Amino acid sequence: MLLIDDLLIRPFISLVEIIQNMALDEMYDTEKIRDELKENQLLFELGERSESEYRQTKEKLETQLKLADEIRSQMSSKVEIKQ
Amino acid sequence: MSENLYTYGIIEQEDIQMDIEGVQDAETLYTVDYRTLSALVSEIDTTEPERTDEDVQRHNRVLQQVLEFEDGRTVVPMSFGMAFKNSRTIKGVIRGARRALRSALNDIDGMIELGVKVITIQEDTINEGELRNDIVEQLSAVSVNETENDLFSDRLILNKSYLVDRSNRSEFDEAIEAIESTHTDSVKIQYTGPWAPYNFVDIHIGAEQSGR
Repeated sequence: MLLIDDLLIRPFISLVEIIQNMALDEMYDTEKIRDELKENQLLFELGERSESEYRQTKEKLETQLKLADEIRSQMSSKVEIKQ
Repeated sequence: MSENLYTYGIIEQEDIQMDIEGVQDAETLYTVDYRTLSALVSEIDTTEPERTDEDVQRHNRVLQQVLEFEDGRTVVPMSFGMAFKNSRTIKGVIRGARRALRSALNDIDGMIELGVKVITIQEDTINEGELRNDIVEQLSAVSVNETENDLFSDRLILNKSYLVDRSNRSEFDEAIEAIESTHTDSVKIQYTGPWAPYNFVDIHIGAEQSGR
């Protein structure tokens, strides 16, 4: 029974893990946030975004980036503990 | 008082002293010589300056100022953050890297770097590939070398740095103006510079080993 349970549950768990990791990667994709910061700066400099829009977006993205960096470093330190 | 020096770049030996708005609010730029080379420096409190947007901009602007000082001069730029204990350490660093620095100075002699970013205004109605090729062709004709930079936005169709002979600067300006007027409804261009040729010199200085 144990063996059957394992076979039934394991693929499910790994699928959940994969989806969870993908969601975390998407949410805390620091490269993507850095690209958005650069895009915000460029669009402001080319007059496509107003100063207030630029400042609001910059603040939002910098907060996201800080959070993403923290979460990523916490995640990587957890992996190290497991190893 | 600390003797730490922040380094912006390297030029052919020359005594320069000028007012600047430098890294960590430094107000004076001067040179430290090693044989036929001079380092462009300003005083600083630390050997590990924090990388802030403001100080990176100040670093670039100081290099720009030297690049355009009097008749203009060739500068091998240092990346942001190279600060050393004192002038003796800097001389040691230049001595260690002198061949690479000399060769870089020869390679970029009389050259400046210009940056071009092109974004689309109406994505659906233009053939981006064709437009890009047209722009690249026109700019390549008036430059010596070029590097491709990161396309960090979906709206960017071109992000390049061009190495241009100082004497061809007006031809490059005209090429940009021509592109702008031809494609005025399709694209916007961000044209920046002149910069010290960051993207065309690749020198790694072993600062740690040199007692930075």
